[in-house]
Amino acid sequence: MSHSLDAYLILSALLFCVGMFGFLARRNAIAMLMSIELMLNAVNLTIVAFGAFVPALTVHASAIALMVISVAAGEATVGLAIVIAIFRNRRTPLVDEYDRMRE
Amino acid sequence: MSNQLLVLALLALPLAGFALTAAFGRLLMPRAWLIAVPAVILAWAVGMVLVYRTLSGQLGDGFAFTLYTWIPAGSFRVDVNFAVDNLTAALLIVVTTIGMLVHVYSIGYMAHDPGKWRFFAYLNFFMFSMLLLVLAGNYLLLFMAWELVGLSSYLLIGFWYQRRSAALAAKKAFLVNRVGDVGFSIGIWALWTTVGSLNFSDVFRVIPEKLAAGQLQPWMVTGIVLLLFCGAVGKSAQFPLHVWLPDAMEGPTPVSALIHAATMVNAGVYMVARSSPLFSLSSSAMVVVAAIGIFTALLAASIAFTQTDIKRVLAYSTLSQLGYMFAALGVGAYAAAIFHLMTHGFFKGLLFLDSGSVIHGVHDEQDMNRMGGLWRKMPITHATMLVGSLAIAGIPPLAGFFSKDEILGASFRNGFYVVWLIGVVVAGMTAFYMFRLMGKTFYGPSHVDPDVHPHEAPPSMTVPLILLAIPAALLGLAIGWPPEAGLVHRWLDPIFAPAEQTLGLHPEAFQVFGIDGVLVLVSVTLATAGLIVAVRLFGVRLPGRDVEPRPTIVEAGTARLRPLYVASYHKWWFDDVYHGLFFVIGGAVAQGAWWFDSHIIDGVVNGVGAVTTLAGRELRRIQTGRVQNYALGIALGLLVMAAGFLVATTR
Repeated sequence: MSHSLDAYLILSALLFCVGMFGFLARRNAIAMLMSIELMLNAVNLTIVAFGAFVPALTVHASAIALMVISVAAGEATVGLAIVIAIFRNRRTPLVDEYDRMRE
Repeated sequence: MSNQLLVLALLALPLAGFALTAAFGRLLMPRAWLIAVPAVILAWAVGMVLVYRTLSGQLGDGFAFTLYTWIPAGSFRVDVNFAVDNLTAALLIVVTTIGMLVHVYSIGYMAHDPGKWRFFAYLNFFMFSMLLLVLAGNYLLLFMAWELVGLSSYLLIGFWYQRRSAALAAKKAFLVNRVGDVGFSIGIWALWTTVGSLNFSDVFRVIPEKLAAGQLQPWMVTGIVLLLFCGAVGKSAQFPLHVWLPDAMEGPTPVSALIHAATMVNAGVYMVARSSPLFSLSSSAMVVVAAIGIFTALLAASIAFTQTDIKRVLAYSTLSQLGYMFAALGVGAYAAAIFHLMTHGFFKGLLFLDSGSVIHGVHDEQDMNRMGGLWRKMPITHATMLVGSLAIAGIPPLAGFFSKDEILGASFRNGFYVVWLIGVVVAGMTAFYMFRLMGKTFYGPSHVDPDVHPHEAPPSMTVPLILLAIPAALLGLAIGWPPEAGLVHRWLDPIFAPAEQTLGLHPEAFQVFGIDGVLVLVSVTLATAGLIVAVRLFGVRLPGRDVEPRPTIVEAGTARLRPLYVASYHKWWFDDVYHGLFFVIGGAVAQGAWWFDSHIIDGVVNGVGAVTTLAGRELRRIQTGRVQNYALGIALGLLVMAAGFLVATTR
């Protein structure tokens, strides 16, 4: 079962769920960013797995995965910058306190 | 001065007087008339020059000129243009002369009123509007002036606006006039769509042409002239819109004399006479005009029998005399109608100013039952009022006799025997109620409040009375003799010749020893009979002949004719019927419409708003501002999409 597509897909689904749970459950902005990374990587894993098992997709999958990685890097940078900016302003990493968007 | 300049000066003088008095009248105060009265006297002088130039024939058929284009809206183009001819001149004589005398009289009458600067400003404004009305050269300008005189009438009826009855009377006059003006404005619109111009000269040329060419059905012409006539019915207070004029007597008496007797109420007669080329095209419309006129004459005379307010008696007599004028217009006796308009303007203006002098003399009492015996205390007022009463009663050789007999004679000769018959009866009634008024006011036993000492009016009031008594006595003789060929006919017959030609009337020579003489004899006999009955019942005191009043006979007579007396006293219940019809029922309909509007229409609109507000208030709860909640939403959305995808693909 180790060399079947299903195994990779299940793994990535699990990873995605872990990430989603982290994103929803954690209140710390840094941890939430990390969860996002987890979800992105879960998706990346799916893409790469399809690329490995479906010959026609090999080249495309790699390109897409690379694209996702670079976007994830940028997203992490910008996200962290925002979190730090908010942290400086509000003196807390907890997103519960960031309710100014309501107003 | 050129003629155009004269016309403009005639309009500018009272307008400037109005503006200056309105702006600075308060500063002039106790002499608020200092600008207004000289302005009108100057306007009178200018008017007389214009009248002389016109009537002496220097100007041929008159002249017209355009001042500027008023409404240049594409094909709809209306100018401010003026037309002066003999008809205008005849009206100018009445308007400027009586206007000037009333202004002078008001100096004395309003001497003690704290708001008199307002009064003189309004009075000047009225003069401007009325002059604009008679000088206007097209229907729209006429209509605007028509509304302006209505406005000044409203302002002056409600001059003592602190009095509730005056405020209500002003409102009533304005609203009742609106009813007629709706018809008038639709008529003007219809003229525009059929002719494409509103200038008198164009309209009177095009409509007969189109009718002759078959482009216009006869019923259309009838409709148009009847719509125009609606306006005249309102402005000249004819049945069924006559109810506003008696109430208009709430205004100061000079106003009643000038606006509600001598000038403004004649605007309807003037307009119909001016439109004679149109009215003569429709014989059925002419019959309507004659019928409404003579019916109003009879109705108003019957009400005047029993009224006790001195000004109201005169108001109903004004209605009655206006009815005569419309009857004359309806039977095709246009010149006679304008003749009566002129004489009536003078003697009715005189009568009203006399009544004002009486009211002033007995300290603002208007009820004739609380007057009496004033002839010795107010000799000038009494003498001038006697002249006015004899004139309106149609006793020769005073002014009213000539004009009234021309109307009656013309109705008979033109075949309107019913109009003639009612007219003769009304002539007798007129003599009766006028001498009832004279008897109750001047001759009978005094019922004046013992604390009040009646006194003659100051010279600023008596001089206008004397000046008005002269034309009231002699105007008929001066311009109406010889009958059917007097000056007034020489002036006006050319104006009305086209209309008379359309009607197929041929002016005939007056036959003193023929039918005309008999008609005159009949009407004079009836008028004298009415006069003698009134004098017998209510008394008279003349040099060498005193007749005591006989109140017992009056009471016995009233008791015998009780139903008629009650009907007349209650003005045939017109006010009550209108109150029920338009105030109670109309008010209920309006209330219903208001309820529908405020509950149903507004309810729908407000309901939409309320639902939106509610939805917004409830939905804003999902906007918590917490990132996690949004993320949960995204996650749920993702799950739903994924589930949907799975369901769709595995099917």
